[in-house]
Amino acid sequence: MSAPKLSTRDLCKSFEKDGASIEVLRGLNIDIARGEFVSIVGASGCGKTTFLRLVNGLIRPSSGSAFIDGRAVTTPGGEIAFVFQQDGLLPWRTVLDNTIIGPELQGKNMGKARDLASSYLALVGLRGFEKHYPHELSGGMRQRVNMARALTAGADVLLMDEPFAALDAQTREIMQTELTRIWSETGKTVLFVTHQIDEAVFLSDRVLVFTVRPGRLKEEVAIDLPRPRDLALKRRPEFGAHVDRIWRLIEEEVRDSIRRETEEALAAAQR
Amino acid sequence: MGSLGIRRWSLSFGVAAILWEAVALWLDNKLFLVRLGAIGQRFVELIQSGELMADMRVSFIEFAGGFGLAILVGISAGVVMAAFKGLRDLVDPWVSMLYATPTIALGPLFMLAFGIGYASKIALVFLTCVFPILINTLAGLKTTDRTLLEVVRSYGATPRQIYFKVRIPAALPFIIAGLRVSVARALVGVVVAELFGARAGLGFLIFRSAQSFDTAGLFVAVFILAVCGVACVEFLKWIEIRLAPWRFNNMDEE
Ligand SMILES: Nc1ncnc2c1ncn2[C@@H]1O[C@H](COP(=O)(O)OP(=O)(O)O)[C@@H](O)[C@H]1O
Ligand SMILES: [Mg+2]
Repeated sequence: MSAPKLSTRDLCKSFEKDGASIEVLRGLNIDIARGEFVSIVGASGCGKTTFLRLVNGLIRPSSGSAFIDGRAVTTPGGEIAFVFQQDGLLPWRTVLDNTIIGPELQGKNMGKARDLASSYLALVGLRGFEKHYPHELSGGMRQRVNMARALTAGADVLLMDEPFAALDAQTREIMQTELTRIWSETGKTVLFVTHQIDEAVFLSDRVLVFTVRPGRLKEEVAIDLPRPRDLALKRRPEFGAHVDRIWRLIEEEVRDSIRRETEEALAAAQR
Repeated sequence: MGSLGIRRWSLSFGVAAILWEAVALWLDNKLFLVRLGAIGQRFVELIQSGELMADMRVSFIEFAGGFGLAILVGISAGVVMAAFKGLRDLVDPWVSMLYATPTIALGPLFMLAFGIGYASKIALVFLTCVFPILINTLAGLKTTDRTLLEVVRSYGATPRQIYFKVRIPAALPFIIAGLRVSVARALVGVVVAELFGARAGLGFLIFRSAQSFDTAGLFVAVFILAVCGVACVEFLKWIEIRLAPWRFNNMDEE
């Protein structure tokens, strides 16, 4: 692999909580090539969101670093854009004004930003909705604005944290095909977190499987299915084989995680 | 308000007017309840003599002065308190205490301190309505959706940008709601302040009328105050809906 677009070296994160230290991520070494689409799957609470926030620079690692083009990430903004699970659109701003928030905050040329935003809104299928307000849109449309906003920020790297989790099953499938199309048209590097294994397999070049907390890289699975992919692929045996393999990798982890979450909730209730 | 709203309002006013007239006829006590016609007549008289305009002018100045000052101070203090936690911890108990106290009871004291002119009235109106504004401003600034904050931070917002582009717009509907609560308190403040001693004003008109057994004159003042109160509250409600339509989206009229 040539020099990776995004990499992490010995990335560790612990949180202090009520005087105790919770180790969430331990020694992650990950390399992602320019233009690659990589997904992360893992049991709930294994530190996937924390990992994205570290890579984005929203929080600082306890040790180790994340790098973009070989430079350590220190603050958010600029070369990485984050697509959050909740759309996080400012309700008092129109779709267009939400979409241009990245360039606006970074003091860029607003005329250019508006043109760029309009073209990305068209790309995600929202031409003509520029003047609408978020509360006038459906959940799927708001997630499209969320994506257009990240693209307009001009970042090469998109971090996406379960962006389709709140959508109904049909909308989610449509959004998956849309995302592969947008990804191939824009050539972005994408790091995508999901708890849906079939979503990870369908979208990705590679799937990283995390262990339970403290999150480590358990295994990486290359998805060698041909592109362009369409939804019919999901019914093919080689697709199912990938899904099964990943599910077997995390089944035990998920059971552990459920058991631990139950125990923690009980302990908290008894306190 | 749609045409349905107007129909409902006129219906409810019509019924109230009929009831009023019926009770007034049945009671036949001009000291307690006079016929609507008599109130209308007194209204015209008070206008022609110039008394009403003078009273309204005075009350308006007291209201605008006290309420305006409360808006200025309430919002600024809320903004400052939201920004400095140390200050907030120090001042918070006092704010909650004074908010719950019927500060209007301090009226006589204010007369002694500031005389019976505008100053004492404005001070009392200010004190009765500054706290809801302050508390709502503070609450609005402190309860910003964490997702929104994280989103703008991820796009590189500076603390200053976070404040002006997220916290303040998110707090605006709260602030307007605070104004809506205070506007009614401000009107009460005006009337009560004038009852403690004044030379003119709608509250003083009520006082004067009662002293001279002029029940019709008293109701003229009460009705004018009621109309002003409703108009202010409806206006602020309208602004609130314009500013934050998403907060009313999932609400049903019924
Ligand atoms: N700011 C924080 N302070 C304390 N603990 C945190 C914080 N953020 C996350 N955690 C803990 O870290 C663990 C991993 O969280 P997260 O990264 O959200 O997991 P995932 O996204 O994989 O479900 C959880 O146990 C969570 O409680
Ligand atoms: Mg998460």
